[in-house]
This record gives sequence, C-alpha cells and structure tokens, in this order.
Amino acid sequence: MIESILSLTFLAQVLRMFTPYYLGASAANFSERGGVINIAIEGFMIISAFSYAFFTLSFGNPFLSLILSVIVSLLFSFLYAFLTIKLKINQIVTGVGFNLLMAGTAKFLMMLVYQSSSNTPNFQQIPGLPFVSDIPVIGKVAGDYIILSGFALVFISQYVLFRTRFGLRLRSVGENPEAAETLGVKVRLYKMYGVLVCGALSALGGIWLASNQSSFSDGMIAGRGYIAIAAMIIGKWKPVNIFLACLMFAFFEGLEITLQISGSFLPSQIIQMLPYLITILVLIGFIGKTKPPAADGIPY
Amino acid sequence: MSRKVKANILSITISLLVTILLTSLLLIVIGKNPMQIYSMLIGEVFGTGYGFGQALFKATPLIICGCGLALCFQASLFNIGAEGQLNIGAFVMSVIAYTFDDYLGLMVIPAAIAGGFAASALWGLIPAFLKIKRGVSEVITTIMMNFIALALVNYLLIEFLAVKSTVRTEKILETAFIPKLSEYSSLFQGSSANITLFVAILLAILMYFIFYRTRYGYEIRSVGLNPVASRYLGVKTNRVILWSFLIGAGLTSFVGINFIFGYKGYYEFGFSNNLGFTSIAVTLLAKNNPIGIIFTALLFGVLDYGGLAVNTAVPKEIMLVFQALVILSILAVDKAVKIYYLKEE
Repeated sequence: MIESILSLTFLAQVLRMFTPYYLGASAANFSERGGVINIAIEGFMIISAFSYAFFTLSFGNPFLSLILSVIVSLLFSFLYAFLTIKLKINQIVTGVGFNLLMAGTAKFLMMLVYQSSSNTPNFQQIPGLPFVSDIPVIGKVAGDYIILSGFALVFISQYVLFRTRFGLRLRSVGENPEAAETLGVKVRLYKMYGVLVCGALSALGGIWLASNQSSFSDGMIAGRGYIAIAAMIIGKWKPVNIFLACLMFAFFEGLEITLQISGSFLPSQIIQMLPYLITILVLIGFIGKTKPPAADGIPY
Repeated sequence: MSRKVKANILSITISLLVTILLTSLLLIVIGKNPMQIYSMLIGEVFGTGYGFGQALFKATPLIICGCGLALCFQASLFNIGAEGQLNIGAFVMSVIAYTFDDYLGLMVIPAAIAGGFAASALWGLIPAFLKIKRGVSEVITTIMMNFIALALVNYLLIEFLAVKSTVRTEKILETAFIPKLSEYSSLFQGSSANITLFVAILLAILMYFIFYRTRYGYEIRSVGLNPVASRYLGVKTNRVILWSFLIGAGLTSFVGINFIFGYKGYYEFGFSNNLGFTSIAVTLLAKNNPIGIIFTALLFGVLDYGGLAVNTAVPKEIMLVFQALVILSILAVDKAVKIYYLKEE
C-alpha cells in the first residue's frame, strides 16, 4: 500500500492527473480575474476533447488537430463573451446553457459521425518529445508537451497576471471596472481577452484528456471542469496556490485509482467527494479566508 | 394585457422560433429534411396515445422540479443543485418505502414522500445556511454539493443497500404502486404516465397562487428583485431566503413519486439523467412562472420522447442540442426585447 504510493509510477500518475486540473483552473482564473465567472469550463473541455478526436480521426495530424480544436473552443468562447459581456446576460445561467449545449453537441455529433453513444474509435496519441519519451516510467510524462506546458503555465500565468501591462489591466477590470475605464482601459475588450484565454486553456485540458485516452468517450471529462473551478477557489485566484490545490486533487485521484487496484481501507466514493468537501470548507472560512476579484460576476 | 406580459409572450415566441430555425439549419447541414423530421416527431407524439402518454410521463418530473427551482429563482437564489437534492430525496424516499412497508402498509407512501422531502430540504439547508451566515454564493456550494450527493448515494447503494450486482434499491410492495393513466383510459395504453402528473399540475397551480396572490409570494419576489429595499420595507430577508431554499429543494424530491411509486418501484442510480439541469432550462423558459412551467415542461417532454421517435432518421441527441439552444436563445432574446420593446436599457 505505502510502497505503491511512494513509487515513481504513482508520481507519474499524479502528474498526469494534475495537468487537466491545472489547465482548467488557470483557464477559470484568467476569466475571473477579468470579472467574468465561467462555470462552463466542463463544457469547453468536452467540446474540445470531442473536436480533437474528430479532427485527428479525419486528418490524422495531431498538431493540426490540436490547433483546430483550440479554434473551435475559441469560437464558443467568443459566443460566451458576446452573450455575457456585450449583452450582459447572467453569467451563471449562460454557463449552465453552454454546458448543456456543448455536452449535447458532442453526444449528437458522436452518434452522427461514429454511430456510437459511448465512444469514438481509437486514434494515435500526440507524440512526445523525442528521446525523453523513451525514459522508462516517467518518460511518458516528462516528454508530454501538454503536461510540460501545464507546469510552465504556473510561471507564465504568475508572470502575465502580475508582471505585465496586460495582467495589470485584466485584474483592474475584474476589481474595479469603473476606475479602469477612467484610466482609459477598454473594459469589455479586456474581459473578452480573459474569456478567450480561458477557452484556449480549457481546450488544452480537454485535448490532453482525449489524447491520453486515445479516444473520446461520453462522460470522460467527469466533472473535471468543476474540480478546476474548485481548485481556483481554494487557490484563492493565485497561480501558485492554484498549482498546490490542483496537485492535492491530483493526489486524491491518483490515490483513488491506486486504492481501487490494491484494495482499500477507504471507499473510492469518499475520496471522490474530498475535492468538493474541501472546497466547501474553504468557502466557509475554516481554511483561511478567500476573496474573489471584487467585481467578479458583475456585468459592466 | 400589460406591456410586461406582452413582452414575455413576445420573447418566448421569438426564442422558440430562433431555436427551431437554428435546429433546422443544423439538420440541413447534416443533409436531413427538417420538415420531415418535425412531422415524424409530431406524428409519433400526437398521433398515438402511447406517444402522448410518454411525453406526459417525461414532462411530469420537469414540472415538479421546475416548481421547486422557480421558488428559488423567484427569490434570486441560483440553485444549481437540484440534481443532487432530488437524488438524495428520491433515494431516501425509496429506502423508507421498502423498509417500512411491513409496519405501515399503504401509509408508507405518505411517510416515504415526507421523508424524501425532508432529506432534499436538509440538503438544501446547507447552501442556504452558508449564504445567510457566511455570505457564500449558493452557486458554487450547490454545484459542489451535486457531486457530494451523487457520490454519497452511490456509496450507500454499493456498500449497503443495493440489490446484488445492480445499482438500485429493493422494490416496493406491488400494492403501493400508484395508478397509471392507462387504467382510466385505454388511450394511454402501455405508457408509463401516472397520476403523479396531476400532483405536478396541482403543485404548479398552488405555487402560482402562492407567488402572485399571497403575502409570502410578494415577499419572495421582492427579495428576488431587491433584497436591500425589501429589508427596509420590513421583509425578513434571511428568513425568506432560508425557507425558499428549503422548500424549493424539498419539492425536487417529489420527482421520486413519479419514478418510484408510478413507474419502477425502486430508486436507481442515474435515474435522474441531468433532470436537475434540464429543469433549469424549463424554469427559465417559463420565466419562473409555475403555470408557464406546465407548458414548457410539456414542450421538453414532447422533445424528450420525440427524440426517441425520430431516432431512426437522426440521432435522438439532437433534442439535447435543441434544449440547450432554447435556454441560450431565451436569454439573448429577452435582452433584445428589454432593449428594443420595453426600452429599459
């Protein structure tokens, strides 16, 4: 039991699980730093995972498929931005609608194109870095472009949000849009940038899951979009804290899988609940105080 | 008719038309004839008593859950947690129903319904309490509690209560089943529609009466429109939030009556199949008006069964797309009507 947790295989497992969480949570963070709540991360992951499966099965080129799927997600994000920023429609309700739309569209197209309600045919994974991928046990992880980007993103998002003009403006729009506007910041434009970055990053999360599994299947995202939002809240909208929160959730998921294999003292459903329970405890204020961006969720 | 009512009718009509148009475009793109699909759907649902009965059967839980959500939404409480609340309630309902039927006889039906209501209400108490005492947004807590609810029910089923190698509870007594509509009219031959439909319709009428004809309804709606002003007018805002959330969540458990007492006789994991989310669409489309919910639920019921009816020509999942497009278009059209017809913004 302990040996199986302390092994390199387990570490590799955790790092793999970490990736979609962190991509999703950073995505949510960019949107909310600009003051737009996006609970449709789950839907964005679903539609981009399906798009990736569709493109790669149709064209065969994984990198082209990756780019095309990100574009699909960006188109939906643009629509989301239009409805919530331009038309100022309630962001929660729009998010619920988008989740239904994207889950429904993926199911419909899967049935239409592949005549299956459960999964697409298998395809090749995105190839890894040459040489590094051949290292035993950890090579698959250390040579995976998206996993590596996930780790780079910790530094990139910290830098972009807190050390660049773009980040400063984005945050100002999320904290106090009136003040930002008097200083000449184009408030709605920056909110839209936040939503688009969110769409692209959550797409990478979905694409990684599809590529890692070599197929798209119904229900494969399995609430990861919501766990990502939970990680963002627990991480208090700060990239490094979000990183730690995602690592914790990935540890739970790795534990769940390991326990299922090696026989367990804790039922897997209890471990499944942990991310959500911890989030509620954090929200109550048992584990430090959380403070979202001041104008989060308020249309401008 | 007031301008507001006209605006509502206008936006519902336009958004339905927009949705039908978009769905037709999608059908044309994939090389199907939309008119043929629609006539197939209508022929199957309204042409046969069985089809119509099935549409009513699918509409029943949407009316019930929609009424519960309307109570929350009228008070501006974004309860996204109906999926979890109704699963907890229906699960408890079935456990009570098969455990105590030896002692209680047919009185087990009201006991199970009351127990289910209490369980769902209790599940709704947590986000309500956190909102009132800690100012935590109910949106995030209800989303999180959906997952906790499903994992909890799954755990209790698999570890303790499920019938071996299934994900369902034991069956209730044969005598505890409530009558199907087909027992009164041969028109509904073979369909699962049962008298829960009338319970649902009565519930909707009662909710309408409460919302628009009683002091409680007035207080709920005033808290929904402007909590700060309501407080100055002497409305006990926190009490309104608490009770709306409790009763709204509790009512969602009644979907269990339709499934357990009216149809299968047991709780089965996954029976809700996103009901809690589809109901959000139903409620929004009806603008939180319970009478409107009867009709929007019926529309969704027709689509739900109609999907199966057209499945040979086009995948039934097209109806999921249709339902999602309805929500998004009502939201967008509503804004447009507000701006150009009511000149509000």
